[in-house]
This record gives sequence, C-alpha cells and structure tokens, in this order.
Amino acid sequence: MNDALNNMNIESLKFFGKVNASISHELKNILAIISETAGFLNDLTELAKQGKELKLSLLENCSNSIAEEIQRGFTTIKQMNRFSHSVDAPVMDVDLLDILDLMIGLTGFLSFAGKVRIEDKDQKLETITTCPFLLQNLIYRILCFAYECAGPEGEIRLRLSPEKGKGILLTVLNSAQMPVEKFPDEKIKQTAELLGVEFKKNDSFYELNLLIPYVCDKIKELEKNQ
Amino acid sequence: MKILLVDDEQKFVNMLAKRLALRGIEADVAYTGEEALKKAESAVYDVAVLDIKMPGISGTQLKRKLFTLHPSLNFIFVTGHGAVEKSEADGSEKDIYLSKPLDIDFLIETVQELTQTR
Repeated sequence: MNDALNNMNIESLKFFGKVNASISHELKNILAIISETAGFLNDLTELAKQGKELKLSLLENCSNSIAEEIQRGFTTIKQMNRFSHSVDAPVMDVDLLDILDLMIGLTGFLSFAGKVRIEDKDQKLETITTCPFLLQNLIYRILCFAYECAGPEGEIRLRLSPEKGKGILLTVLNSAQMPVEKFPDEKIKQTAELLGVEFKKNDSFYELNLLIPYVCDKIKELEKNQ
Repeated sequence: MKILLVDDEQKFVNMLAKRLALRGIEADVAYTGEEALKKAESAVYDVAVLDIKMPGISGTQLKRKLFTLHPSLNFIFVTGHGAVEKSEADGSEKDIYLSKPLDIDFLIETVQELTQTR
C-alpha cells in the first residue's frame, strides 16, 4: 500500500506538471496571436503614416481577434485556477459534471484531443465525496486513452447514469474502436483503486464503463485524517 | 524567397503570413501536416516554419516527410513550449527553434541566414 501511495504521489506530481505545461502552452499560443495582431496593427499604422489608405475593416478584424483571444485567455486562466484549487483539501464534495467539464477543457489543450461532449449536461446529480485531484487525474487519463483511439476526427460522448445508493456510472462512448484489453492500464488501475472506482466489463469495443462511488472506505479514511 | 508556415493556430499563421507579405516575403499557410504536404507537392519553398505539436502529423514527422520531398528545404520549429522540445523534435543541430510569441524581425533574420548559408 505504501509503495502504491508513493507511486501515486510521483504520478500526481507528474500529472500536475503535465497539466500546467499544457496550460502554459495554450497561454503562449494566445499571446502569440495577440502579439502578431498587435504587430500587424503597428505595420498598418506605419503604412498609414506613409500615406497608404487604412481600411477600417482591417482594424475591426484585428480588434475583434484580440478581444476573442483575451476571452480565450480568461477561460484558460479560470480553468487553471479551478485546477489549482482542486488540491486545497484531499477530500471534498464535488459535482462530477464540473470535474468532467474541467477535464474536457484541460485535455482540449493537447494536440491529439478530439471532440467530446457530455450527454444531458443539465441533469442534476448528487455530489460525490472524493479526492478531486485524483479523480481529475483518472478522468484526464481516460480521456487521453479515448482521444488516442479516436484520432483527431473522432468523437467521444460521456454519459452519466446515477446508480441509487452506489454512485454514478460514467460511460465513455467512442466513435472509434478502443483496444479495451489494454484498459485500464496500471496507472489508471492504481488511481481507480484509491478512489474506489469500479470498472464494469462489457463486450463493446466502443465503450468504457466505470462506477464512481458516492463515497468509499479509503476516501472516508482520508477524510478522517485531513 | 518563399516560406511555408504550418500551425494549427490558424489566426497565428494567417497574421504572420500577412506581416511577412508586407515585408515582401511570400508565405503560404497550412493548418495541418497533411495540408502542408499537399502544398509542398506543387510548390517549392525555401524555408518551412513548423509548429511541433499539431493534431495528426506532428511537426517532427512533417519535417521528415517534407525533407524527402525537398532535401534542400530549411526548417524552423516554432513552439509554445520552451527549448525543452528540441529533444522531442529529432535533436538535429540544423534546425532552428523559436519560441512563441515571435519577433518578426528575428524570424526574417533567421530565415535569411538559413537561405544564405545553406
């Protein structure tokens, strides 16, 4: 158990670093667009000084583009902030939809990320008592596995079905076949074990099912010690 | 001089191409590796400016394919990450790595150096 926990700590740190690196990459892309657009505006100003006609539509396009990128930057920073606060306490009551939404956003920065949508996003779900950081780690890895199978044109759907008194069944539906025999890998298995997440076997190559408990003994123990 | 700019950040490459055009440098843009390969089949470029991390064909894989088509083509990798990616791209000393955001004057200087010395 201690070895498993040590491994988890190392893996958790790696996960934290990986996500932060992808956020910084996204922010650099945003700044690069703003920088090029500002540079282009500067180029246009220099041309105007030389007597060249300045098209207002070009200025409008540039200001719209900058505004869009600033909005993209705000969204990214909000996601970064939500992710950072997921380590505030080892155990918290969380809304699974919120966690999925954040992980879709953060995995979206990866070059191999495909399209993902959550079915019935407006449904009201009971909160789950869990370690949010580890649950994020688990979902992030599962989404990465699904993206790698789906390819850039693929589509992934996430379905949430409450199971009374037990937890929430998360079904990952992929437009492409998944090598389900390779799932879950050792890292996913270890994280799932700590969270009490149970993988449900099925015969389809297109779906993965995992039951995320409302609470489990290991989490209760962790909660007691926090 | 003709440059091929490849990046899935469409606004970034479009704006860069416009700014290069204002400086008298012709630049084609491609948003994916596949699109870049199609362009390279019908045109000759002096320098390819590639993003490393792209959906589908990565910048590193694209470089190998473009090099097969045009062995004299020069490459510049542009990335949102830092210098750490040098090892990810194949570590070739011939390639230049620039970090975003770009300094257009430095980019042009680099392109000119590459085309003059090779």
